[in-house]
Amino acid sequence: MTEIDDSDRDRSRDEVLAAEYAVGVLSFADRKRLEARIEREPAFALLVAQWEDRLSPLELPAEEAPPHSVYPKIEARLFGSSASAGARRGGWWHSVAIWRGVAFASMAAVVVLAALQQGPFGAKPLPAPAPLVAAMKGEGSPLALLASYDPASGRLAITPVAADAEAPRSLELWLVPGGDAAPVALGVLPQDGRGVIDIAPAHRANLSEGITLAVSVEPPGGSPTGLPTGPVIAAGEAHHP
Amino acid sequence: MPSLDIAGLIAKVAMGDRAALASLYSAVSPKLFAICLRILKDRTDAEDALQDVFVKIWQRADRYAATGVNPNGWLAAIARNQAIDMIRARRPSADTIGEEGLEIADSSPDPEAVSIGLGEGRRIDRCMGELPPERADAVRNAYVEGLSYQELAERYNVPLNTMRTWLRRSLLKLKECLER
Repeated sequence: MTEIDDSDRDRSRDEVLAAEYAVGVLSFADRKRLEARIEREPAFALLVAQWEDRLSPLELPAEEAPPHSVYPKIEARLFGSSASAGARRGGWWHSVAIWRGVAFASMAAVVVLAALQQGPFGAKPLPAPAPLVAAMKGEGSPLALLASYDPASGRLAITPVAADAEAPRSLELWLVPGGDAAPVALGVLPQDGRGVIDIAPAHRANLSEGITLAVSVEPPGGSPTGLPTGPVIAAGEAHHP
Repeated sequence: MPSLDIAGLIAKVAMGDRAALASLYSAVSPKLFAICLRILKDRTDAEDALQDVFVKIWQRADRYAATGVNPNGWLAAIARNQAIDMIRARRPSADTIGEEGLEIADSSPDPEAVSIGLGEGRRIDRCMGELPPERADAVRNAYVEGLSYQELAERYNVPLNTMRTWLRRSLLKLKECLER
């Protein structure tokens, strides 16, 4: 029982810390410590997001238009000073927008050198070597694989994306429990190249021998209904090897 | 603009769509600028904060879908956190996380099991009404003005530790009421 008590106490403490962070009463040092936890602990980040959501109705309805000079500065920081130059993107992933406009007639690999890699704040070009990226797609397939090779680390990341020249789509992972039970959304396939989905603790017990995992094509951000709305493009039963 | 449209714009921003960022800016910048201005109380600072807010929105949009929360609340939180971090950095306080009130058990169900629906927000008014008026007032002022524990303690003329206990208990009661 001690273990459960400890974990209850930790959860209770984290709940309070998340609430204090969301309200905003903590000191700068404490906020920075908690922001570091938000970055590396998805469970804690979720607690904070829930508190932010819970408290958001306290926000006043006030609006105040910012001066017109602000948005060009944001664009300059994100996309470089000449925001029209398509190649000057913030990161390799963001050049996917370019590929969306490209129609692939057959199995094709398009190699794009992300020129003029910009830092997150766009102030100076980073000296880091530009990644090499390729979109791999089969004719008529709703799925494309995006490869990004980082010459500095020798690491090549593969990210599955929904390929649609007409409209951006998301790929969503589902747990199909079997029987009459409805599919459970496990999350939108991450497009950060890490290929990892954090399963919400509530669903972890359901991921067991014999369940089916499936991927469907959904509107951006995932199914709006909580059930698959687009075509299921891949499915398979899970087993312990 | 309805929440679903805002959520759609965030999803497009997550896919690197610059036009979507511009649309999102048009739709929500007056709201987010008002938040920064209220907390920072200085137009130039609020303009700087707003820039940082939209840089963060661009960088973090891909994480939004995982939270399942109201998109307007998510955006407002980025603005509040940016403004509060700026104002705290400027007025350093030696205050650190204390233990007061942390011993209170949080009796609510597992947070993962609780989903927060859109539009449930108005219930917060009823739940704030269940708190002693002065404490509800402290929660509201802390949130709206971005006050620190130290500033709250001074305003309500109570010791810092008392303010911590007040606020922590009030927040847990609020959560318990919202989930009833």
